[in-house]
Amino acid sequence: MNIEALTTYITTTPLIWLLITLGSFKLGIIIYERFNKNPLLQPIIISYFIIICALFMTGVSYEEYFKSVEIIHFFLGPATVALALPLYNNLKYIKSLFFPILITLLIAGTFSIVLAVFLLWVLGAQLPTILSMTTKSITAPIAIITSEQIGAIPSLAVGFVIITGIIGAVLGTTIFKLLNIKHDTSKGFALGVISHGIGTARAIEISQKAAAFSALAMGLSGIVTAIFLPLIVEFLK
Amino acid sequence: MLKGIITLLVFQFLGECITKLFGLLVPGPVIGMVLLLLFLILKKSSFESLDNAVTLHLRYLPLLFIPAAMGIITQVDIISKEFWAICISLVFGTIIALAFCAKLMDYLTIRQEDKK
Repeated sequence: MNIEALTTYITTTPLIWLLITLGSFKLGIIIYERFNKNPLLQPIIISYFIIICALFMTGVSYEEYFKSVEIIHFFLGPATVALALPLYNNLKYIKSLFFPILITLLIAGTFSIVLAVFLLWVLGAQLPTILSMTTKSITAPIAIITSEQIGAIPSLAVGFVIITGIIGAVLGTTIFKLLNIKHDTSKGFALGVISHGIGTARAIEISQKAAAFSALAMGLSGIVTAIFLPLIVEFLK
Repeated sequence: MLKGIITLLVFQFLGECITKLFGLLVPGPVIGMVLLLLFLILKKSSFESLDNAVTLHLRYLPLLFIPAAMGIITQVDIISKEFWAICISLVFGTIIALAFCAKLMDYLTIRQEDKK
């Protein structure tokens, strides 16, 4: 038996990090479903902690880890293109409320970014953090490629995206009740604009209509933000 | 499902090409997404193989951003220095924006219904 050859293989193969990444995510899904899909227990967060522990214990750097699992990262591209289909399937709802949708999308979407940036600026945050906050309300695959485009820190941006999603999903229903929001379409649309996919998962529990409007909002705000944000950042620079 | 996967990759490729060719600031895959959306609108329906390929990509979507998201371990400096600014911006920014968005949409919807 050649123990040495085995150890060398295990410590150098990218397979081990692919297995840890996929395995920890699967474990995350199992835990998430066991706890009735509690938004606080997003599978990715459970996965996060397991991988951080594994990296910490083995002393492997982020660069080495990323190289091993780069194949997963590649699929963000086609996954972004794939977002066109749920958007297409829900596009028929746009006609019934065209102007409310258009106005809310543009005004509330801009307001959300300006507010978050303003709060950071007042509290003395640095430019990389502020830039990384601008993509917080759009779905993570678009947030990653857009944040790369505007010179933000993609990993920070993803972190902000996930936390924004969770806050919206956890507090959404309470906020809607306090404000006496009448239409499920408004609830769904707000969850989609502000809390992207995690909000949409929550909207499914409100009603079918809310879920459709949430998916619609998520797709539209992703496209609008990805098109205009780099232009605005470039202009301000 | 292969046809569907090829469709996604072709639209991504087209998107990236257009971005490079015209020096656009929009990320290539987003252009690809818009092109696929236009294609579906013109074609008036999706096809099974594309449906399957999309489900494959979106079912485990969060898994796909783990490699990028793990970069957070290299940002400990920023996070510890600006921890409270980040927390306040995220919590209050999200709550206020969500409330504003829902109220605005609801107000505009009710107004449109009244007009009818």
